[in-house]
Amino acid sequence: MTEKNIIQLQGVEKRFGNFTAVSDLNLDLREGEFFSLLGPSGCGKTTALRMIAGFQEPSAGKVFIDGEDMEGIPANSRPTNMVFQSYAIFPHLNVGNNVAYGLRNRGIAKSEIDQRVTEALEMVELGGLQERGATELSGGQRQRVALARALVMRPKVLLLDEPLSALDKKLREQMQFEMRHLQQELGITFVMVTHDQYEAMTMSDRIGVMFDGRLVQVDEPPTLYAKPCNRNIASFIGEMNFLPAHVTEENGKGLTVTTPCFGILDIEKNPNVAQTGRDIEIGIRPEQLEISREKPEDYDGTVQGKVRDVAFYGENVHYHVQVDGVEKPIAASVPNYFHTVDHRPGDPIWLGVQSTSIIDLGQNTIKS
Amino acid sequence: MKRPNGLAVYAFLYLVFLYLPVLFLPLFSFNDGTIVAFPIKGWTLEWYRQLAGQETLIQALMNSFLVGFVASLLATSMGLFAARAYVRYRFRGKKASEGLVMLPLVIPGIIVASSMLVLFISIGIKPSLTAVALGHTFLALPFSVSIMKSAFDDFDPSLEEAAFDLGSGVIETFRRVTLPIVAPGIVASLLVTFTVSFDEFVLAFFLSGNQPTLPVYIWSQIRFPAKLPNTLALGSLLLLASVALLVVAEYFRRRSTKSTI
Repeated sequence: MTEKNIIQLQGVEKRFGNFTAVSDLNLDLREGEFFSLLGPSGCGKTTALRMIAGFQEPSAGKVFIDGEDMEGIPANSRPTNMVFQSYAIFPHLNVGNNVAYGLRNRGIAKSEIDQRVTEALEMVELGGLQERGATELSGGQRQRVALARALVMRPKVLLLDEPLSALDKKLREQMQFEMRHLQQELGITFVMVTHDQYEAMTMSDRIGVMFDGRLVQVDEPPTLYAKPCNRNIASFIGEMNFLPAHVTEENGKGLTVTTPCFGILDIEKNPNVAQTGRDIEIGIRPEQLEISREKPEDYDGTVQGKVRDVAFYGENVHYHVQVDGVEKPIAASVPNYFHTVDHRPGDPIWLGVQSTSIIDLGQNTIKS
Repeated sequence: MKRPNGLAVYAFLYLVFLYLPVLFLPLFSFNDGTIVAFPIKGWTLEWYRQLAGQETLIQALMNSFLVGFVASLLATSMGLFAARAYVRYRFRGKKASEGLVMLPLVIPGIIVASSMLVLFISIGIKPSLTAVALGHTFLALPFSVSIMKSAFDDFDPSLEEAAFDLGSGVIETFRRVTLPIVAPGIVASLLVTFTVSFDEFVLAFFLSGNQPTLPVYIWSQIRFPAKLPNTLALGSLLLLASVALLVVAEYFRRRSTKSTI
């Protein structure tokens, strides 16, 4: 990854009639990074990708690729290539001709085309399948052909529109690693659109989260998980317990807050939060909570409750604990170390939390 | 064996009433006699043999081929573009225009024929094969539009985007991607519209002037009892050709809806 910005979006907006799909999008993508645009369906992420590809012109703002203003430059003249959600494998061409399609548009010598197609297919582990018909391919193979067909063009940026959504779970997980390796080997900038937070987190260097046409936060996956800038992102990425809290003291990087169940805690201020005040909201990830029969020692905050539901996931167990003073049960997850489920619904139980794992989410936007 | 129920009997009778009269045509075309009545006098291929020598018949056949060729080509190319627009885009007046295109299916042929005659004469096109071909294009358009629409329905729009993304221009994309993928639909449309034109009588009767198409020729021959067996033989051949064409067209239509998974 270099410091050079390969894509710059400046104040990009897209309107369809009265509907604004993307508004005031500002984003710099570094050369060689794997960037994901993450968000629920209809948040404008695909529209943003299509404006980079050139399938849609922004209603306002500018798109720069490698320093060049892309205004008026159609998709067929941009240094980008796309992997489509449906893969869009040409059904009337075999694998070799699918991959060679773009190279033939460039008037490259046949021997070079053949060589580059062979290399591209080997790269996606489909070596020797040139003659295979497009309709005889499995889902995973179609995905690989789509990748090879785009990468053979040696684009400056590869755009991927929900590239794994059509695959089953096992294959999807395998392809996540393969695509990540491929991207790192080639050093090409990948921009992926996805609604799957796990996909985005496992593959990306950085993630941009979009809601309602707006880019809300851009960060590396661990930062995004640990320091989400608001409640929406906190609940969209991973699981989160939300609690109201009252700020009694504020000093530099820290806050002293009173919580309804864990007492008084000194927590870290979240620099990503835009709006804050006296009444804030805090978040606790389920895996950060300790759960035990006895009152846990050495925890900054503890509370007693009653187990309401138990959900066994295999790799871990989720307990929903009803606590006095909190309406919604608090979720706590425990790794399944010993293949046992230690607590039953109705059991009295203690929860413990360290103040360093509590996330400041800024001003409480939920009406109490 | 399962006992036939009421509906099965109904369906059987329905098919008999529908197709029995049609089957009389080939049956009597092999009858060794000029009177079309039972009992069959004997079997002969004479009527078929005589067809080969009739020059006016051959001429009418050629006229029909020419008209069918032109009409199917015109209707299919217009249908191709119209169908792509109907399936891909939303635009003002789309529903109205789709309805208008289908109108020839429901307007009585005699109305279409007489108004076309008036129209063509007023703009200087005399009754001729040209007039028939234009009229048949109009009649065949609904068929080609609906066949091409079903071909485009199953056509993933990102295929065209992918071609464009890989550097093709608009025309190049159409030639290398769109056309090959909808090709089975185009073949189906050509065959069906050709059949529509080939069998059409009313419009051809009004517009053909002194260049009769085959159906018009057959109608003129049917008035002479001695020629009747010849006409039956000709009709049987046409029946066979039409069925064959439609079977082939249906094969291509099904292939076109299967080709883009």
